[in-house]
Amino acid sequence: MSALIEFKDVGKSFGEVEVLHNIDLSIDPGEVVVLVGPSGSGKSTLLRCINGLEMISSGELIVDGIHLPLEKHRIREVRQEVGMVFQLFYLFPHMSALDNVAFGPRKVRRMSREEARGVARDLLQKVGLADRSHHYPSELSGGQQQRVAIARALAINPKIMLFDEPTSALDPELREEVLNVMIAVAQQGITMVVVTHEMSFASKAGSRLLFMDNGRISEDGDPQTLLRNPSSERLQNFLQHVGY
Amino acid sequence: MGFEFKYIVDSIPALLEGAKLTWYITIIGILGGLALGTVAGLMRLAGTREVGGESYGSFRFLAIVSQKAAIGYIELIRGTPIIVQAMFIYFALPMLVEVTTGLKGIRFDSLTAAIITIIINAGAYMAEIVRGAVQSVNRGLVEAGIAMGISRLQLISSVIGPIAFKRAIPPLGNQFIISLKDTSLFIVIGVGELTRQGQEIMASNFRALEIWTAVAVCYLIMTSALAMVLKLIERRMKIV
Repeated sequence: MSALIEFKDVGKSFGEVEVLHNIDLSIDPGEVVVLVGPSGSGKSTLLRCINGLEMISSGELIVDGIHLPLEKHRIREVRQEVGMVFQLFYLFPHMSALDNVAFGPRKVRRMSREEARGVARDLLQKVGLADRSHHYPSELSGGQQQRVAIARALAINPKIMLFDEPTSALDPELREEVLNVMIAVAQQGITMVVVTHEMSFASKAGSRLLFMDNGRISEDGDPQTLLRNPSSERLQNFLQHVGY
Repeated sequence: MGFEFKYIVDSIPALLEGAKLTWYITIIGILGGLALGTVAGLMRLAGTREVGGESYGSFRFLAIVSQKAAIGYIELIRGTPIIVQAMFIYFALPMLVEVTTGLKGIRFDSLTAAIITIIINAGAYMAEIVRGAVQSVNRGLVEAGIAMGISRLQLISSVIGPIAFKRAIPPLGNQFIISLKDTSLFIVIGVGELTRQGQEIMASNFRALEIWTAVAVCYLIMTSALAMVLKLIERRMKIV
């Protein structure tokens, strides 16, 4: 099976600061990759390179057959196959939950208003928010907003889902509802790359765990194994730090 | 010689004529200015993160040219008095045309010159309002739109535009009112708007107190109406 996402000796710098060094990484369809590491280690940047929110500085990145940076004029095609969920939700504040979710199908998949709303209704039902479809983001709790945001990202039926610390802005009691939705998404077999500090998600739903440190991938393996016996000291320290 | 109401009553028909013209110049002027200002404000931001990130290839060149052109226009208009702009468009432009093309007698009538002046003048200030409002839209929201793979035009019309518009209403309202009052300067190019009507009546009966009071009240009524319309629009906008 050929890789869906492939980093080949990728580097990324912001001005003088190099945040990613020589990343080589290949992700196959259906993998649920959990990306962990201390803050500033480059996890979010790596994630944002996949859908071109950041353009890589060196090396090559192939996403769904499109070569970056060579074909960066085709970046929209990449984005139309990649859904993204952000730490701070970023639902469109002037649209109801239903219209937020229907937005992608309408604009990207060119569905009619009714068809798109049908898709949106199904997805809101799946994330348990059918009764909130006419509420505006400001009328929803953080956990509910994030579930709508997941539905919005899924609505374009993407091949890849990216999650950038989706539970970090939530109270502990609201995290569970979001994690449950994410686990359900993972079980559908969609390819996922998840930046998180939730080790429970890694062990329950992850098929692969990457530990990033100082802009490099320093551990790469099965989540269960790595979490049970962390081989390196850095990873041990990190896991202690996040209270696992 | 006290305050005599009858001079006001007598002046009403002429003042109404003037007010009608003031209103006419203002409405066309601010609508045109809003269109021009929106275009110039977006040009000012072409190719930046705020409107969907950097562009590539020839679009990049176009973006830089747009930015420079918008900055030039905004600085030129903000840096000169509106009365000079009106004089230039009405008196100097025909001469410029004659010198450069040899065509004689091509000129705007004073009303057209007045409307063009308001459009160009208000447009420059509104361009900055539009830029500020667009820049105030949360970067994360813009990224959420970009990440869905929608086009730049869709991003601006469906995500950035509605959010920015609501924020732009208070400063736009300010500019609308300033533009309305600026029409009084067109007395210098002979447009028979409200201030000029007042001036003419005053010159014939010397009732400065009554006439200028009436003129001031007319302006107040018009600016209040404008403010009220804006308030209604703001209230009707969805929660942002």
